[in-house]
Amino acid sequence: MKTFTSDVVIGLEIHVELNTKTKLFCGCPTKGSEEPNSRTCPTCLGMPGSKPVLNRKAVEFALKLCLALGCEVSPELIFSRKSYFYPDMAKNYQISQYEIPLGKNGKLRLKGGKEIGITRVHMEEDPASLVHPSGMKESMYVLVDYNRSGNPLAEIVTEPDMESADEARDFMKQLITVLGYLEIFDANGGIIKADANISVKESGYTRVEIKNITGFKEIERALMYEVNRQKDEARHGKAIAKETRSWDSEKGVTFSLRKKETEEDYGYVIDADLTAIEIGSKLLGEIKKSMPELAQDKVKKFVEKHRIKKEDAEILAAEKALAEMFEKVAEEVDPVLAAKWLRRELVRVLNYNKKELHEAEIDEKHMIDLLKLVERKKITDSVASKILEKLIEKPFDVNEYVKKEGLEAVSDVSELERYCKEAIEENPKAIEDYRKGEAKALNFIVGSVMRKTKGKATPKEVNEIILRVINS
Amino acid sequence: MQIKDYIEKIKNDEIDVVEYIYKVIEQCKELNNDHFYFNTISQDLALHQAKAIKKLIKGNDKFVKGKKLLGVPISVKDSICVKGIESTAGSRILKGYRPLFNATVVENAISEGAIIIGKTSQDEFGFGSFSVNTGLGFNVPKNPIDRERSCGGSSGGAAGLAKAAKFHHIAIGESTGGSIAEPASFCDVFGLCPTYGRNSRYGLIDFGNSLDKIGPIGKTCYETALLQEVMEGHDANDSTSLNAEKADYRSHLKKSIKGMEIGIIKEAFDEGVEKGVEKCVHGGIKRLEEEGVKTEEISLEFPIKYGLAAYYMIGTSEASTNLAKYCGMRYGASEKLEGSFNEYFTKIRSNNLGEEAKRRIILGTFARMSGFRDAYYIKAMKVRSLMTDEYKKAFKKYDALASPTAPILPPKFSEIEKLTPLQNYMMDVMLVGPNVCGLPHLSVPVGFEKNLPVGMLLIGNHLEEGKLMQLGNVFERK
Repeated sequence: MKTFTSDVVIGLEIHVELNTKTKLFCGCPTKGSEEPNSRTCPTCLGMPGSKPVLNRKAVEFALKLCLALGCEVSPELIFSRKSYFYPDMAKNYQISQYEIPLGKNGKLRLKGGKEIGITRVHMEEDPASLVHPSGMKESMYVLVDYNRSGNPLAEIVTEPDMESADEARDFMKQLITVLGYLEIFDANGGIIKADANISVKESGYTRVEIKNITGFKEIERALMYEVNRQKDEARHGKAIAKETRSWDSEKGVTFSLRKKETEEDYGYVIDADLTAIEIGSKLLGEIKKSMPELAQDKVKKFVEKHRIKKEDAEILAAEKALAEMFEKVAEEVDPVLAAKWLRRELVRVLNYNKKELHEAEIDEKHMIDLLKLVERKKITDSVASKILEKLIEKPFDVNEYVKKEGLEAVSDVSELERYCKEAIEENPKAIEDYRKGEAKALNFIVGSVMRKTKGKATPKEVNEIILRVINS
Repeated sequence: MQIKDYIEKIKNDEIDVVEYIYKVIEQCKELNNDHFYFNTISQDLALHQAKAIKKLIKGNDKFVKGKKLLGVPISVKDSICVKGIESTAGSRILKGYRPLFNATVVENAISEGAIIIGKTSQDEFGFGSFSVNTGLGFNVPKNPIDRERSCGGSSGGAAGLAKAAKFHHIAIGESTGGSIAEPASFCDVFGLCPTYGRNSRYGLIDFGNSLDKIGPIGKTCYETALLQEVMEGHDANDSTSLNAEKADYRSHLKKSIKGMEIGIIKEAFDEGVEKGVEKCVHGGIKRLEEEGVKTEEISLEFPIKYGLAAYYMIGTSEASTNLAKYCGMRYGASEKLEGSFNEYFTKIRSNNLGEEAKRRIILGTFARMSGFRDAYYIKAMKVRSLMTDEYKKAFKKYDALASPTAPILPPKFSEIEKLTPLQNYMMDVMLVGPNVCGLPHLSVPVGFEKNLPVGMLLIGNHLEEGKLMQLGNVFERK
């Protein structure tokens, strides 16, 4: 038993849907038709006489996860039956793992460097989904959709090492980054769920479990609510019960499901329909070879090799596609400039267009061309931003476009001076105000020049010229 | 007429297969009036298959001539799925279940020209040794030699039919703890339970997944060998299916057994074995010796002493999870929806499962509960591997081991009624060892005592069914 000293103690059990094409024990597709019960077969419906056959790809995915989390990998993959009666269970047992999980004793580092222990990583099948046609409490009946039945899941169980909802959120964020790098989880369509164990010092660390919180943002919300609830109750002298609670995301509250007098008994037995699979050194070696460099390694590399700020490096590394683009762009242009443009402008424009980088057609060549022009001051920052906006919509050759549209920066000082003089003559009032001491009035003139040059001049340079003209 | 001559005549269109099968079905119905070997007679399917074969023969189809079971009536234990034919494993809770697929062994037989005549009666889910634990509303099969007596179990209908049929027929049975050999012995036929994994379990309604084996029951050793040849082979649909080479058992039948060595299990002749049984089995051993087999008594204390306990712990633990799906949700009868899902599931299971099924569910659930799991389930798994070690040691020296198949002669139903559950379980004492360790075993008829048949059990090393068939051929029916 660990002795706790912190204010709050949190441990998580996270279920991640692995994005294999087919289910864990049959050939049914994991994605496709949403028509209820259309992606089913005798095995995922648990028909008498059917037998499970293991999906090798799912094992590879789970092994990648184990390695990425620094787990010790079991030499054998053994499945057990977890028995309990529930309407979403085709067989009234779930094929899972018990005594010997695929991975154990791993860890995951939070942003600040703190390490959260990973107790175990194991594989299991998803049950079917229950559909309550008019909401969970109001429905007179429940429908069962077996499309999800048998989807592959990885369960990640952490040590009770997190001390706040914030740390739990960060853990989830780091985990999702790892999953994204390994390309074993579909961040858009995939399901991530957590059961959380929470206790506070005030109650003497009486453990409360919140079941089935879906989605990564909900996990933080639920934990924040529950920490406050427990502290509040303890402050008012109420005893915290050892219980299982559920999270109502609409109301933003947790509510009691059942008091926990004893641990549930799942009566595990080995699933003898599946033979023990040897995880040989050859397979493990192949998996190791196929492992990508992970986000935390990339941050280190970006800071050490490319000399960019840690904060920038962390943002760039959080998404695999962005990190990979940065690495390529930083080979050709100043890494600091590349970092600034990728993490700020590129992310801004993507967000505005509600696109993920891997969905946009823009590639590193476009960014390199664009940033080379910026680096050599051939185009101004504002022109570059506008080109970037257009590139996200539909990519084109940046150099040709700049030439065709005549977007090169006005570097001819005499030409700029002419624009400035024009602007000064057209706005005598602004000049008057400026001379009276209203420094801001000059911005109006600068803006006018920028319009005349269609943004092809830098405001700083324009400002200098205007001052020179006025003061001459 | 021997089966090979029958197949030949079918091929040459000397026997009209449709007419023959029509008569077979009539005889099956007649037998079923007073002997109850079938839960379902698949008349339509059988005639449909016969007509298709007839068409191929008339059309001089070149593939049809090579088929090993052309036109042979095959019965299938009710726990083995036949597409579109009610498959209940002898339980009321599975009434109305028509599988969407054929079990692999059934598929293999059909592709060799077999004709599926029906689903044979059994103890509910295989839970028994006398086929008296049939599901609610099912009939108990009667011994073909004496209607007052049991066929044995749980493949009772299969063995009874194998003996009683006046037509050519081979049965597909299934054994978890002795359910092929014991009824074969009680019904005076041959029953082979092959190595675990030799025949695919795909399509078998599970009892104990680490124990279940499908195997043939035939009137002759030849027929038993033939059906085994057809059924076996690796199957990608069953993860526990062995990747072993298919064997030619019929060629084994012709081989000499001179010089083979057999260990006679000493403990299997201890008190509790009827004298008449002992006498017949010794007679069988003597016949093997006459053919040049060397015999020697050996002690195999461990499997006989602990086999039953290990078997019942493992078997019931697995069975209790396998039967969980029969709850009225997707499988199992549906009744008026009332109360919580737990109450509904309980009602369905209470009303539709028989007494022995309930007993084994409770026993198995108990054995795997935390707190008892290590003492029962896990310990039984350890005993299993120690038992296997002991057998493996014996097979370093012997080609096969021999014992009586059952300690008693086929009992009267009135006698069975007086047995306690534990005495019931004792019937399998000779058989649980090879079953728990996945070893192939063959029961051969070795004679009669008081006009009742006695079987001798031959146990072989893993994948050495061939040797068993070779030895069994000494007792071939002439």
